[in-house]
Amino acid sequence: MSLQRPNRVLITGVSNPLGAEVARRLAPQVPYLFGCDMKDPISALEEMDFVHADTRHVAIGKLVRQLNVDTIVHLAVMVDSPRDERSIHETNVIGMMNVLAGCSAPSGRVRRLIVKSSQAIYGAGPGDPSFFSEEMTNVERQASSVTRDLLDMEQLVTEFALRNESSKVSVLRLGYRVSEDTTLARYLSLPIVPTFAGFDPRLQLLHEDDAAEAIVRAVMGGPAGVFNVAAGGVVLLSQAIAIMGGSPAPILPPYGRWIGRLALRALTRVEVQAHLADVIAFGSVMDCSRLEAEFGWKPAHSSRAVMDGLARGKVLEVIEAPSPPQEYELQVYLQRRRRNGRNGQRTASMLEAHK
Amino acid sequence: MIQAKSPKQRRKDSTRAEIVKPKSGPRLAKSVKRLQQQAPLLAFQGLSELSVRLRQLTGRDVIDLNRVMEFAQFMYKQRELAVRGPNYEVDDFGFDPQWTESFISVFMVLYRDYWRVETTGVENVPATGRALLVSNHAGVLPWDGTMIKTAVFAEHSHPRHVRALVASLFMGMPMLSWFLRRTGQTSGHPDDTRRLLERDELVLVFPEGVRGTGKSFKDRYQLRRFGRGGFVATAIRSGAPIIPVSVVGSEEIYPMVADLAPVAKFFGLPYFPITPFWPWLGPLGLIPLPSKWHIRFHSPIHVEEHPPEAADDNNLVMALSDQVRDTIQQGIYDNLKLRRGVFL
Repeated sequence: MSLQRPNRVLITGVSNPLGAEVARRLAPQVPYLFGCDMKDPISALEEMDFVHADTRHVAIGKLVRQLNVDTIVHLAVMVDSPRDERSIHETNVIGMMNVLAGCSAPSGRVRRLIVKSSQAIYGAGPGDPSFFSEEMTNVERQASSVTRDLLDMEQLVTEFALRNESSKVSVLRLGYRVSEDTTLARYLSLPIVPTFAGFDPRLQLLHEDDAAEAIVRAVMGGPAGVFNVAAGGVVLLSQAIAIMGGSPAPILPPYGRWIGRLALRALTRVEVQAHLADVIAFGSVMDCSRLEAEFGWKPAHSSRAVMDGLARGKVLEVIEAPSPPQEYELQVYLQRRRRNGRNGQRTASMLEAHK
Repeated sequence: MIQAKSPKQRRKDSTRAEIVKPKSGPRLAKSVKRLQQQAPLLAFQGLSELSVRLRQLTGRDVIDLNRVMEFAQFMYKQRELAVRGPNYEVDDFGFDPQWTESFISVFMVLYRDYWRVETTGVENVPATGRALLVSNHAGVLPWDGTMIKTAVFAEHSHPRHVRALVASLFMGMPMLSWFLRRTGQTSGHPDDTRRLLERDELVLVFPEGVRGTGKSFKDRYQLRRFGRGGFVATAIRSGAPIIPVSVVGSEEIYPMVADLAPVAKFFGLPYFPITPFWPWLGPLGLIPLPSKWHIRFHSPIHVEEHPPEAADDNNLVMALSDQVRDTIQQGIYDNLKLRRGVFL
């Protein structure tokens, strides 16, 4: 089994909170850890080599080969992002393509690929089954742009997995998360929450810790395949709003989703994407039995607990800021000194990219 | 014994108690408050005395105290629901049992007093474990589903909630989708049926679907095609017995004389009914007629005796589907013979 253990791991999109958490958890478990993203990481990690790199650029393939990694954790996938559709498409589809180009055989040495996907791939609609299992992506409906991008991305991954049998590929479809900065959390935290009149859907959420844990478990010898990852149980939208201390206002029109989205933006300045608007109207719940069976693990927090946690966080008012600049400089200094002591030649070029 | 939690851990896990502020504003006198608290009780006492007097005067029950109690119970349940806030659990399908049970007295009024439903064979419904109820579907609005649910909950020795499967069309409608999900219904996807049966629930299906509810009055009590027998295959796969249910009386609640197909198409509905009262009388046309109902639960057809592979045997599935259809049709004819008139 020692062959299966990851040796050199690259995390793309390491600067988003989930990426940072995954890196923090992986750092003590893998010998070599690399991270790349466009912006600076939130907190510097001594064990990780950070590279400024854009997955949308072809150079990422070169980077993968040069770093000689055997495991890639691809987290540079935008689902809940305020950016425009075009840049989301570039990141999700073109970014995935570039990363796959770096891994592809025969010259590639990547044996393990973990891709972050999202529950948004299923969309939401009235004719859907109550639970989505992994095969139910091809529902006939006009898909929103994010859903389409994710479908394209997973198509690429599936093709790659078919062609390169030597590499194990896992796709994790993470449920909707409600940490402070996601759209869904901002929507639910409003004092008066406009909802679509006459709808009270079921919501299924995922705790940040569970998301990171699932990815780490996948890296450390998880099985290959596509997996739904989401918390057990559901909360109703009205219940979630009440837990957050707001009150629902069923004022958005039940038909014509885009009118509702415009009204929501005008009233509350929360920009809800098309796929999320469908979820707020019809709800979307995944069946995570495959994850439980093959990972032998299930998320520790239920949907209800996730919502309670968010409500508690709102009351406590988090005052902890991302690590102050001095500390960041110190970390970088320590990292450089440690590296130079070990093998200065190799990492010097890498740190050039850092500056 | 090992201590389950250390005090430190317990402190860490504990949440802070909610601080309840006393209400501000003018205070009522204590005597008024006491009177306010005792008002419902005093009202009951007064009402019961009145009922006794009236009985002595007229010689029969003018005020039925049982009904009054039911009404009071309903009001109390609604109040209880109002104060529970978000502190309740729904199952994965969005079913809220407490909320559903609070409405049972409303449906009981319809069941007992309006349609005077006579239910037979309810003992054929198992007290525990999975089963698939298969019924004929009629009436423009699915009142037959609510009556079957009420029958099992009110008449069975082990009150159970029946989980009906509804067309996905209704799941996209505002209000209706919310109400149906909350009271335990799900969309009629084969996957949902399987999941519900695997959780040992009592599932109700209408294989006729909208073909049954949308048929005109002259075709009443003639069963439509039973889908493609998908319900039999699902029952075999999940090892659930099929219990055919015949409902008589539901055809006459809205006598549909015509169907305006173009209007239905415009609104995205399966049919647009014309009855003697709808749409001429507006919302009053939605009031169903008080026909006399009979519901019969037939003895179970044990399809679970077949191995799960038999579900792929089309011949067997269609034969079983026909057997269920014939049983229901026969039950309808038998009950029609029992009935003295449509409204008697």
